[in-house]
Amino acid sequence: MSLTPADQARVTDVPSASSATAPAAGPSPGGRTRRLRRRRTVLPYGLLAPAVLVIAVMLGYPLYRLVILSLQDFGLPQVFGQPAEWVGLENFREILTEGYFWTVLWRTLAFAGVNVFLTVTLGVAIANLLNALGARMRLLVSTSLILAWAMPALTSTVVWQWIFDTQYGLANWLFGRQGESWLAEPISFFAVATIIVTWMGIPFVAFTVYAGLSQIPESLLEAAALDGANAIERFRYVIFPALKPILLIVTSLSVLWDFRVFTQIFVLQRAGGVSRDTNLLGVYAYRISIGENAFDTGAAVAIVMVLITVLLTLFYMRSLLREES
Amino acid sequence: MNTNRSARRRSPMLKAAAALATAGLLAAACGSDDDSGADAPDATEAPDGTEAAETETTDGTSDESGSIRLWLNGGDTPDELVAYAATEFEKLHPDVNVEFERQQWTGIVERLTTALSSNDSPDVVEFGNTQAQTFEAAGAVIDLTDDKAELGGDDLLTSLEEAGTYDGAFYAVPYYAGARIMIYRTDLFEEAGIEVPTTLEETLAAGVALKDASDDPNFSGIYLPGRNWYAALSWLWEYGGDIAVQEGDEWVGQLDSPESIAGLEAWKTFFDDANAAPADGDDATDYIAFCNGEVAMMPAPGWKPGQILNEDDGCPELEDSIGVFALPGQEAGTTAPVFLGGSVLAIPTNSENPELALDLLKIMIGPGFQSQFAAGGTIPALKSELANVSGSPAAEAQAEAALNSRFVPTSENWAGVEAANVLPDLLTRIAQGDDIASAAAEADAAIEAALNG
Repeated sequence: MSLTPADQARVTDVPSASSATAPAAGPSPGGRTRRLRRRRTVLPYGLLAPAVLVIAVMLGYPLYRLVILSLQDFGLPQVFGQPAEWVGLENFREILTEGYFWTVLWRTLAFAGVNVFLTVTLGVAIANLLNALGARMRLLVSTSLILAWAMPALTSTVVWQWIFDTQYGLANWLFGRQGESWLAEPISFFAVATIIVTWMGIPFVAFTVYAGLSQIPESLLEAAALDGANAIERFRYVIFPALKPILLIVTSLSVLWDFRVFTQIFVLQRAGGVSRDTNLLGVYAYRISIGENAFDTGAAVAIVMVLITVLLTLFYMRSLLREES
Repeated sequence: MNTNRSARRRSPMLKAAAALATAGLLAAACGSDDDSGADAPDATEAPDGTEAAETETTDGTSDESGSIRLWLNGGDTPDELVAYAATEFEKLHPDVNVEFERQQWTGIVERLTTALSSNDSPDVVEFGNTQAQTFEAAGAVIDLTDDKAELGGDDLLTSLEEAGTYDGAFYAVPYYAGARIMIYRTDLFEEAGIEVPTTLEETLAAGVALKDASDDPNFSGIYLPGRNWYAALSWLWEYGGDIAVQEGDEWVGQLDSPESIAGLEAWKTFFDDANAAPADGDDATDYIAFCNGEVAMMPAPGWKPGQILNEDDGCPELEDSIGVFALPGQEAGTTAPVFLGGSVLAIPTNSENPELALDLLKIMIGPGFQSQFAAGGTIPALKSELANVSGSPAAEAQAEAALNSRFVPTSENWAGVEAANVLPDLLTRIAQGDDIASAAAEADAAIEAALNG
């Protein structure tokens, strides 16, 4: 959900950086060079070490605590010093045998799926639009995208929530639906949430894909046009294959972000959503832990989320590596 | 071909190892995100304005050993009363300062959970009456049973005393109470020639008449947003229903009893016919709607007139047009039961000065302190001071309503019911036209699951 722009920038850098270093990594004969290479391999790890250490302390320890919590009987009394009892996998048994957990899980996956599809489709469309526009319009569209991207999730959610307000909202005024409660029904609630999440997700996809588009040699497209390919065919046979690696990456990242969505759902629920019908995993884990003081089962839900995220991450890493080799 | 492939094989393996390590770190990043998720709600609370933790210390520089820290929430305790308590306390202990910190109600449970479990705990804290039992059961506050006689004893308001009692032991001292009253626009009543209603039926008729008389689609005869569950409880209780009752060790949900359903149906009639507030709205901004001239009557806590008339975003110009009455029951001469809000005070287990804190508690529950609550229009925690409540019509209507007041189930797990939004969700669904009986049965199941742990 909350990758910093710097992270995202780093991710987008990966393909180009790897293609630049790829030739240097080629095998070279001779013992002298091999020794030299071995010595050289120590340096990068040494440089990585401080960062790895910081991450291990800042992220590793909380993760370790989360695992411990999920295996204990840990409620408010334990916060106030009572010894926590080990219960093994009891917390996991509790959530996994509860029908509601599965409802929330499938709902979360479905929500992420719809949002990723919309984000990537519209993102690619806008990237092509950017590519086709003249300089002035392109500047205008880019600026709008950047503004949408730069706005904090909380701020934009509150603004969208006002737009869909039952009594004073812009949407109801525009469509002449005075008194329509958008957030009260799960379907329209998720429609509003989807608009917000997609709206915020599109700029990253659009810019990344646009960067990819600008790398496709003009001559290729010209040749295809001369061979009689129309615009759709040019996209299908020339642009799409060239963009495939980038699309894989932005799709994987969007899956990760949309799976972990929290702020938008939490704020919209406060503004009127029926919590039980609109909980997604992130919000659900929060409600159990902080709301009901069941830190143990909340941790178990969080662990399940982490595991699913790891699976999704592995998929992303694999596609990234496949591009590299 | 072959050599080429094997030469490459080494590097993918290395990369795979690196990938795995990175994946682990990324996973860790996600894991910790859930932790930091705990902070997110605080951030989301910020737009409510001013609600974010705002701490004021009247006495910043004092020796740690020579001071005790008092936490009170919201603006319910005026500064003069705090000053009175501090002065009285310092008469007893001239060398000890009272350090006062005002906390905001929003997010108070999370903040108290953190502060009370730390080794830098305040010495006296305030809980809302629906929150107290959770902390009492957790052992977060010390047992005051032996000192109860000096802390109000038999003179304490019964319902607040229940909130302060867990498992037969007395942990938290009642502090003050607040009952819901009806606030109305006297000028609109006069224009329409409507008298203050004396039965629930008349209230509905007045609300419908006032709503029908207005051209504004946002105008409510009675402002009843769907998620204002405190208000809706009056209808539930008036028709003999309840949220849940204890049978032996088990809590049993009562929302789908015939009486409860009758109450919810009555509430729905009010919602449909007299109200224009949304099914998924709450009472957070009701005073804005009131100031917009979109409300003729609304159920609200006793301090609401003050909020309506505030200088910043209220409407002081309405001062002469605001009246109050206690929501009547079905029969003339009765009042409908109302939710009794209120606060209790307790001493955290981690307090470094529990004995000093006890002396401060004795002052704050003492007649000298409580009589000033009564004089200011707040319902005091001592029965003997109830007769002295005066000052404003709101205070008198509140005192009348408080005589027939009720409370949510006294369980240490009640916080879970509130956290899961069971009651607001139920009301939103009913207001949207869902079947009342089945929605109530589902809510019962959720309440039983939460209360019975």
